[in-house]
Amino acid sequence: MSDEPKNPSATSGETKSSAVPMWIFSLLLLLLFLGAVYFDHHSGWFNSQVYAPYNNAEELDAYQPKSGAAAMLAQGKRNYEMICGACHGADGLGKPGQAPPLAGSEWVNAKGIQRLIHIPLTGVSGGITVEGKDWNMSMAAMGAALSDSDLAAVLTYVRNSWGNKAGEVTPDDVKAVRAALGGHPQPMTGEEMMKMSE
Amino acid sequence: MKSGFRVFVAAFIALGASWCGFVLAPALQLGAAKQTQILNSSEIYPLQRPGAAALGLQVYRSLGCAACHTTQVQQSGFACDVVLTSAGKNPEVVSNLISTLKLTGLTKDEADSVAGKITAAGGKTETHIVTTGSDIPRWGIRRSVAEDFLWDYPVQLGSIRVGPDLANVGLRYDAAWELAHLYEPKSKVKDSVMPPFRFLFEEKNGEVAPTEDAKNLVAYLLSLRADVPLYDAPFTQPSLNK
Repeated sequence: MSDEPKNPSATSGETKSSAVPMWIFSLLLLLLFLGAVYFDHHSGWFNSQVYAPYNNAEELDAYQPKSGAAAMLAQGKRNYEMICGACHGADGLGKPGQAPPLAGSEWVNAKGIQRLIHIPLTGVSGGITVEGKDWNMSMAAMGAALSDSDLAAVLTYVRNSWGNKAGEVTPDDVKAVRAALGGHPQPMTGEEMMKMSE
Repeated sequence: MKSGFRVFVAAFIALGASWCGFVLAPALQLGAAKQTQILNSSEIYPLQRPGAAALGLQVYRSLGCAACHTTQVQQSGFACDVVLTSAGKNPEVVSNLISTLKLTGLTKDEADSVAGKITAAGGKTETHIVTTGSDIPRWGIRRSVAEDFLWDYPVQLGSIRVGPDLANVGLRYDAAWELAHLYEPKSKVKDSVMPPFRFLFEEKNGEVAPTEDAKNLVAYLLSLRADVPLYDAPFTQPSLNK
């Protein structure tokens, strides 16, 4: 180093005061800018759905309540009261001249669930006999617009409320019946339904 | 003023940076918040407030209720509880097993392992997500999230709890209680420090009757109910038929 003798402070361990090369300065600025862009692109890993005390989206996902039996009944009750309850009553007792009762009905409490699933999917026209009483009325396909899980929840709720103690109806059961019916099914009569298997 | 332009640029950058941080970024991150679906349901949350309640929000604002009341529930933790739903064919084996296990306050992994053990013994279980914190279940069952305030303008979170939190006050009382409480707080809560809001009432034919403001305010209070599980604030709803 030829300039060493001219600069005695460098030999005594002190830093030489010289300007930072412009290209290092520019590179640092560029890195800082790209870093900020990257950080911003990920919003600082901010997720608008994650609140304390949850730490991240994976944790939040893991702690979603599974729709167990209780949740299914809750879902069924809500949908029932919104859609079915207007005619069949929140207490499932039906209304004279309008809708037959569901509480204790043999259609609801049957072992098989095929007929029960058909009723909301196709509707009922003409008469139907419930608990030994003839009902001469018609019901639209009220359940056709519901999702499989919503309709299954309604039917499970109906089968397990007001003293009814029949089994569960799963979304897959509803899906199978819906697939077998195809599009735009005609309303069935009670007699027609009696002919099909439970 | 020689450096006027430089001062302007510096001030512009300083204000612009804080505007980006405090206005632009939150608007980008949360500005698109919209109605969401209640967990395990097809219902939408939150529904718009009915007219009287929407007017009541402005009464709440004008009376400065937010100076003493918050409308935000805080939550410090979450956990899993394993609940036995059916003992199966060997109830004794299952009950012996359960007496050796910790069933509440578990992490997800612990809950899965406990549920696995009980299932192996023939029992059936459900895993319930529970929320914890000193606000719960006193003021609400889960923490408040952005959706709860979707229809509020302005949002009045409040910061000081001189009085109770009101995020779920609509679940706790009815209209008659609220009106009587506004007229004379001490008649309902013995040690209340809330001032009576008598000017919200007028005398009609020798009877005390609430004004429109009072009715709207009560309608707003009754509309405060944030008790449904959402994706960002999950919990297991208590069973219906028990």
